[in-house]
Amino acid sequence: MSKMKFSVLKSLYSPPMIVFLSLIFISSPILEFLNQPFIANTIFMCLLYAIMAMAWNLLAGYTGYLSFGHAAFFGLGAYTTMILMLYYDITPWIGIWFGGLLTALSALALGFPLFRLRSHWFALATIAVAETFKLVFIVWPYVGAAYGLQSPIVAPEKSLWYIQYAGPFIYIYIALIIFVIELTILYLIITSKTGYYLMAIREDEDVSKTIGINTLKYKMFSLMVSAFFTGIAGGVYVIRFRFIDPFTVFNLITISIYTAVGGIIGGVYSFIGPIIGSFVFIPLTEYVRVFIVARLPEYYGLHFFSVGILLLVISLLYPAGITGYLERKGYLKKRILPVKVE
Amino acid sequence: MLEDVVNASINGILLGSVYSLIAMGLALIWGVMDVINFAQGDYMMLGAFITYFLFIGLGIDPLLSIPLTFVVVFLTGILTQRFVIDRILEAPLISQIAATFSILLIIRFGAEALIGPYTFRLVTGYADYVIRLGFIILHYTKLLAFIISILTVISLYIFLTRTFLGTAIRATSQNRIAAQLVGVNIGRMYKLAFGIGVGISAIGGALLSTFYPLHPEMGGFFCLLAFVIVVFGGFGSIFGAFFSGIIIGVVQMLSALFVPPTLKDAIAFIIFILVLLFRPTGIFGKGV
Repeated sequence: MSKMKFSVLKSLYSPPMIVFLSLIFISSPILEFLNQPFIANTIFMCLLYAIMAMAWNLLAGYTGYLSFGHAAFFGLGAYTTMILMLYYDITPWIGIWFGGLLTALSALALGFPLFRLRSHWFALATIAVAETFKLVFIVWPYVGAAYGLQSPIVAPEKSLWYIQYAGPFIYIYIALIIFVIELTILYLIITSKTGYYLMAIREDEDVSKTIGINTLKYKMFSLMVSAFFTGIAGGVYVIRFRFIDPFTVFNLITISIYTAVGGIIGGVYSFIGPIIGSFVFIPLTEYVRVFIVARLPEYYGLHFFSVGILLLVISLLYPAGITGYLERKGYLKKRILPVKVE
Repeated sequence: MLEDVVNASINGILLGSVYSLIAMGLALIWGVMDVINFAQGDYMMLGAFITYFLFIGLGIDPLLSIPLTFVVVFLTGILTQRFVIDRILEAPLISQIAATFSILLIIRFGAEALIGPYTFRLVTGYADYVIRLGFIILHYTKLLAFIISILTVISLYIFLTRTFLGTAIRATSQNRIAAQLVGVNIGRMYKLAFGIGVGISAIGGALLSTFYPLHPEMGGFFCLLAFVIVVFGGFGSIFGAFFSGIIIGVVQMLSALFVPPTLKDAIAFIIFILVLLFRPTGIFGKGV
């Protein structure tokens, strides 16, 4: 059994993947030496959105349930990490895992009503859930209401405890650790029997039920794993930016939709699609945001606009995303896993 | 207290009628093409800003510019249908949602980049007029908005039930293959339905502009509200959307009396989730 798992992992950590991860690993000191905080921050954001998009893709791409309310999980994870750190002085090294667990538990509670719905209706209900969370957090004084929460700057000797460092360079490693953990776990899930059950549910839920798959159980599992990693991403966000408010972390566009955009641009029926998608569209939007919008604030919105154009082109011309296109052209090995017949 | 409740209810009815217009456009598109237009609120925003700039630039009264606003947004809708929606009608759900989301991003933030991230107010000469009937206070602009909404709904009703084109649109929504078999050009019906759908929402935006602050991102909230209304009214039921819009308006205004103003929107979303769970066909829906 363990031998099989090992060969599975060998297929995940193929030479290109190793090169990709090592490049990110060595990029941090090089960028710090060259004093390029913008590029380092962009790499961090790409990793953060890749974490979220992969988690989203387990639910959307593999299980077939489109969620546009992942901001609810992201925000819950972020607030949990922040509150544990601010009110209980628990280090975010531990806090983010609590954030993930709490988020997974709340996903369990939300899953029972949500999974009574399918397709369009599920998507709409997830949006409503995330918006409700946002509105509740806006009026809840314990979590700082609309002002949000900010963690203070700490003395240098406490940097490690609070994971507080100047610039974005160190945070690349934090995101990278989470990214690798998630990559491994999700790959083990989708190559296991559970993964095939999830894909069976995506292809035809009623047939899956007929052949004896407990669909609710597996859908719930998928939602909880997805929520867990999205919550962790929220915690990573808190560590990096030290400030959260309901409008940022429960944001429909920059969290819920961007997560999905990463998956859709990269290709949802592929394991590495969301990673590629995030590493394509985040640099675009970050570049426009930092070099155009920040300098000319009257053009605020151009960074979203550019994502809109990219998303439109991809969804009209390459509906299977970048990986789908590469596979069709033969540049990427055809997936062995079952593919949705369109 | 009773006075507050009565006033809130009346305000809710007036405001709800405008919500209904936005939601009816969504319901029409949803019903005819089975596409959820996530950008619906942004066409509404276009309507509101066209009205605003016609008023500021040319001094045309918001109520007089409504036909022009409708035509402009109608044509925008037809172009959208021609170049985007037509291509994704048969695509999987995820591509459809991605395409309408990209329209949302392009319209909302394209507009924001053009006119700036500011809040605008359209102040007409009669913006402050009120009519007092005992303790009932009616805002002139809201009352006018209500009357025009009702007129729009009646025209839409007449168009859909009494004209050949309207009947063809309804036929397409009921059964596209059968409609095609009897010679309906469904491609044209789709364009027409999308144009009218976004145009009606734009009228809602134009009416809203007379008493509501305008912002390029205002469409987001109204789009969510429109989903709530359409689901509440019963999927694809255009006139169900009209009545449920008014109900949601009243519920919102009444709940504002008892909970903090931010939470009054949360109540709308909670109603939405409850309706989805317990009566997915909506209160006016006939069942699947």
